[in-house]
Amino acid sequence: MSTLLSYPQPIEQAVAQIELILAQETERLLPPHLPLSYRSLALLLLQDDRGLWQQLTVSDWAYQQIHAIIENMQQQLGESPVAAIARTRQQTARQLEQSVLSEPATTQITIAERLHQLTVNPLTGFPILLGILYFGIYQFVGQFGAGILVDAIETAFETYVSPVVNHVTAVLFPWQPIQDLIANDYGLITLGIRYAVAIVLPIVATYFLMFSLLEDSGYLPRLSLMLDRLFKIIGLSGRAVIPMVLGLGCDTMATMVTRTLETKRERIIATFLLSLAIPCAAQWGVILGLLSQRPLALLIWAGFITTIFLVMGFLTAQLLPGQKADFFIEVPPLRLPRLKNILLKTYVRMKWYFWEIIPLFLWASVLIWLGRLTGLFELIIQGIQPIALWLGLPAASAPIFLYGFFRRDYGAAGLFDLQQQGALDGVQLLTAAVVLTLFLPCIAQLQIMIKERGWKMTLAMATFIIPFAFVMGYVVQRSIHLLGVNL
Amino acid sequence: MNCHQCRHTCHPNPSKRRPPWWRWSRKQKLPRSFHLPQALPKIALVGMPNVGKSALFNALTGSYVTVSNYPGTTVEVSQGQTVIGEQVVSVVDTPGMYSLLPITEEEKVARDLLLSTAMNLVIHVVDAKNLGRMLPLTFQLIEAGLPVLLVLNMMDEARHLQIHIQTEPLAAELGIPVLRTIAATNVGIRELKTTIASYVYTPQLSATY
Repeated sequence: MSTLLSYPQPIEQAVAQIELILAQETERLLPPHLPLSYRSLALLLLQDDRGLWQQLTVSDWAYQQIHAIIENMQQQLGESPVAAIARTRQQTARQLEQSVLSEPATTQITIAERLHQLTVNPLTGFPILLGILYFGIYQFVGQFGAGILVDAIETAFETYVSPVVNHVTAVLFPWQPIQDLIANDYGLITLGIRYAVAIVLPIVATYFLMFSLLEDSGYLPRLSLMLDRLFKIIGLSGRAVIPMVLGLGCDTMATMVTRTLETKRERIIATFLLSLAIPCAAQWGVILGLLSQRPLALLIWAGFITTIFLVMGFLTAQLLPGQKADFFIEVPPLRLPRLKNILLKTYVRMKWYFWEIIPLFLWASVLIWLGRLTGLFELIIQGIQPIALWLGLPAASAPIFLYGFFRRDYGAAGLFDLQQQGALDGVQLLTAAVVLTLFLPCIAQLQIMIKERGWKMTLAMATFIIPFAFVMGYVVQRSIHLLGVNL
Repeated sequence: MNCHQCRHTCHPNPSKRRPPWWRWSRKQKLPRSFHLPQALPKIALVGMPNVGKSALFNALTGSYVTVSNYPGTTVEVSQGQTVIGEQVVSVVDTPGMYSLLPITEEEKVARDLLLSTAMNLVIHVVDAKNLGRMLPLTFQLIEAGLPVLLVLNMMDEARHLQIHIQTEPLAAELGIPVLRTIAATNVGIRELKTTIASYVYTPQLSATY
């Protein structure tokens, strides 16, 4: 059919034979109206396309026939058909390219090329990474987003919105429980909306803006190249860098992106690490804001989480059988990002994120209201209080762990509230930050985990993560006390 | 072909998948009363990772799917619509794939789409700077008997590197139309739409017009 390509003779012969068999099967067994030609299907079967074998329903007779043909072909060919087919295609492609394309003989080293070298060479690449982390993450997201913006919006909310809402509901609804549902300490507007708009939104917005900039410049694939060796230790390859960096924005999104990883083993390790040791923007943003007055605590938190990330990754890689992943990546050119695309992308992500969290925050408010109304809330908090006390935290911190069950960022926002009331000291802040970072992913992420990895795997991960988070909190708290460090 | 009933459809069936209970406030994408025309012509954008499929999708449909500068931004199929001539056409954006023989799951998404859904046109988007590396997939699409259109994207970057491509001999050799675009700045989109028109043209519609 195609005069463009002709494969080595044994392959062509086998293809012709398989085509005939497929044509005979088409009446009864193949899914009808397959849009791909028999030649194409035959070539895929020759290359041992497992997925296609599963989708085709052929009779046992045809199955055996095709297998016999493939075996016969392999003997004649003396090499893997995948390689032979790929070589034929590449040769034809190169010839065709040469006949239609002209390019300059010498390629001059451009500024972009030099920049590329700087970003992938570990000697210069790590300082660049640190620079990006310091200015982009710490200064822009941490100080500006989680500090200045959150303070401004929080203050505005507390001075202009909350009192008005409290007053209006008090006038409109004479019944106390309804007032509490909408306003006061745990109301839909005064808690749910306030957490979403005043605390989470500014942090996520600044991070997504930062991340979009990195994405469009082409820096991320270069980071993958540089971190490849480090990631090999934890059973991943440089390919997993992008899902991990994305996870620092939103773990739900990142779990979806683990699809780009090649082996099932890599996907399991990546999913596990995302749900354990990669805090999302809202989480680490809040934690950055909380600990910014205590640089030592911040450093310990970051170091501790990084250590857990590496150690747990290493252990999982040892535990899970399987080969190390190969790594090759398309490295796109470094480009000057387009402002329009960055703003648009940040806006789209923000919108997505906002609609993702608002219902959850509101539901959480309703559930808390119901729980308080029925006394269940107090009961659960009393159940959590011993854990909180064991961790050396004040009893008043128990509710934030309950919030954490709904969403990690909701819990983090609760922590923020508590700190503003001056209820926590340095060690307590650090302990709570560690537990909340490691703690179970939010409902949306769990949902995606179940979808991508199956409920058994998800359950296994969750069963490990919950006690692990508390135990690690305890370890940090005890070590700090034993070492006598003053935070 | 009824797209909402076939089992291997590319997009989630909106009537079957109810949003979970905590999503009550989320807007439904398609209101119940709005029905997609049953047999819209379909065109698919396929190609290797990071060649600008999503950018072209945005340029064609006027909608927005995330576009970045690294391979693997798109991991799911997105679907949009555009009007070509007087015909409403369904446009499908796919995750990148190197070959019809999938290795990663995101490649499998794109392959399964081609395997399950008959397309009126498959647009193979390639990076004009790396034509030779991209052509093997073009061959495979042609081999599969699909109606293929080759789009040389990122022509601006190719030109910057002083790479010149003669499209006429390329089109003659491949036996399919070849067009040039710069999806990021909407260059070549009008010509692309004109070419698409001949694939999605339905005589009944224009006769009644």
